[in-house]
Amino acid sequence: METQKPAQESHGHHHILSTEVALGVGFALLLLTGLTVWIAGVDLGRLNFLVALLVASVKAALVALFFMNLLYDRRENGVIFGTSFLFLAIFLVLTATDLFFRGDVAVKGPLTAFAQSKTAQPKVARPWVATPLLLSQGKMLYSQQCVACHGPEGKGDGPAAGSLTPAPRDFTRAGGWKNGRKPSQVFKTLVEGIPGSAMAPYGTLPAEDRWALAHFVLSLGEAPEADTDEDLLKVGIDVKGGGQVVQEAPSIPLEVAMRRLTRPEPRAAKVGAKIEAESAGGRLYLARCASCHGEAGEGAIARVSGTLDAVRLRTAPLSASQAVGSPAIFESIVSNGLPGLMPGLASLNGTQLSELREHVRKLVAAQQ
Amino acid sequence: MTTTHHHAHHFASANDEFEAAKQGMWVFLVTEVLMFGGLFVAYGIFRGLYPDMFHEAHKFLAVNMGATNTLVLILSSITMVLAVTATQRGRRDRAVLFLVLTFLLAGCFLVVKYFEYAHKFHEGLLPGGYFVNQELKDPKAPLFFSLYFVMTGLHMVHVLVGMGLIAWLFRRTARGEFGPQYYTPVELVGFYWHFVDLVWIYLFPLLYLVG
Repeated sequence: METQKPAQESHGHHHILSTEVALGVGFALLLLTGLTVWIAGVDLGRLNFLVALLVASVKAALVALFFMNLLYDRRENGVIFGTSFLFLAIFLVLTATDLFFRGDVAVKGPLTAFAQSKTAQPKVARPWVATPLLLSQGKMLYSQQCVACHGPEGKGDGPAAGSLTPAPRDFTRAGGWKNGRKPSQVFKTLVEGIPGSAMAPYGTLPAEDRWALAHFVLSLGEAPEADTDEDLLKVGIDVKGGGQVVQEAPSIPLEVAMRRLTRPEPRAAKVGAKIEAESAGGRLYLARCASCHGEAGEGAIARVSGTLDAVRLRTAPLSASQAVGSPAIFESIVSNGLPGLMPGLASLNGTQLSELREHVRKLVAAQQ
Repeated sequence: MTTTHHHAHHFASANDEFEAAKQGMWVFLVTEVLMFGGLFVAYGIFRGLYPDMFHEAHKFLAVNMGATNTLVLILSSITMVLAVTATQRGRRDRAVLFLVLTFLLAGCFLVVKYFEYAHKFHEGLLPGGYFVNQELKDPKAPLFFSLYFVMTGLHMVHVLVGMGLIAWLFRRTARGEFGPQYYTPVELVGFYWHFVDLVWIYLFPLLYLVG
């Protein structure tokens, strides 16, 4: 086994690698390096990654078996070393199977098939008809989006309700619903909000979610009247034609929302001068925006403290936003909102948007 | 012509001591696999999440420098093996020569690395919050360079430690402390050095070639 006997105890694994083998293996390693560089230039699509890993593993095996002597050494050492890669594989595989199969995060890339968010694939063909599935979906959405104002039992007694005028709708009562109490009419309220109140539009929620909310909210009181075909047509559902024709409000990509969330705290703005509501934009602002953004756009605690998730929303001064400089960004944020953060005012037309932007610009200028 | 090495008294024989030391070295290398492995898993996860970004970002790495460093490290592994076998055969002068060559090749690796990093700093391709490059527009790009700098940086630290160990071996070999009867430190530092090469064998294609 050994070519040279050491003076004392000579048994054991004292294999001396011959120079020929050492140089041969070394040469093979150099060749394989050239191979891997060359093959990286050949477009094999998905295979490129696998081939690169394969060549690297062959090289690694050569180093381990010959240079590190595992081919000639006692078996245990090879088993010990190999086990480390086994544990590494467990580490990688378990992490990946968790991460790439989470259904609640929208991710880009080839694994999207596994990680589709609910919003991308509507599962219910006719959401305007109440089903137990839709009701439970609505209940979950309600507990996230609505309970702060409308209360846990829908009585309009949520933690944020006290300061609101008019008060949030009590769903257990049949009277007083501004748009009516049919599912399509509740759906309309969810699309447009109730102008002149704190009920914001929820255009950013997918249509299926809005139907689910409508059905759930109606289930809190007595049974509603059924929708006729004309009612459904008013909200863009053509029952005879078999489909939904209402335009979906596009939501902003997750990355953009995350980026906005991670922006550093802006410095406190100088106190904005109170600007009277002389303009149409100013009136719009005071009616729809001031309760969260502050009368002079200085930021405020949006009155949503004490929700189930203990979320506290504090708006930054408007001067910290990039939106004011760009009409396109401003209109996008105001119309579509920011998912999970700010409701969108989908019902504003172009004139109203530019008036609002003009007013906000004045507020921001006063803050500088 | 070696100084007689006396094995520690709690071992029955010099051979037992040698086998125990070797196995201890393998156990240490297992911990190294898992340490670098953690970074490779992070690489794998983020690559799975942002494959397009990785593809764009990896184009900004210098493949020729990475390939050169791969060749340099492989050569240094060859010279390291030859240093070990020379010691096993009692050829002290050759052992010293090969140790010196290994050391110099490691130095080459560092020099190439220096130019690589300097170029990155110049281009603003920096990790995480320091990323200021204007050409690479993907908002997640800093993530790639965080991984790049941590993985190659940790590897570089290992190269530096290895160079220190090789220098230590050089001194002891020159003083005649090793030979066929006793070459354990030479072999084990050799294992460490081959492991450093092994990590680079995986780092190079994953970062530079396939992004």
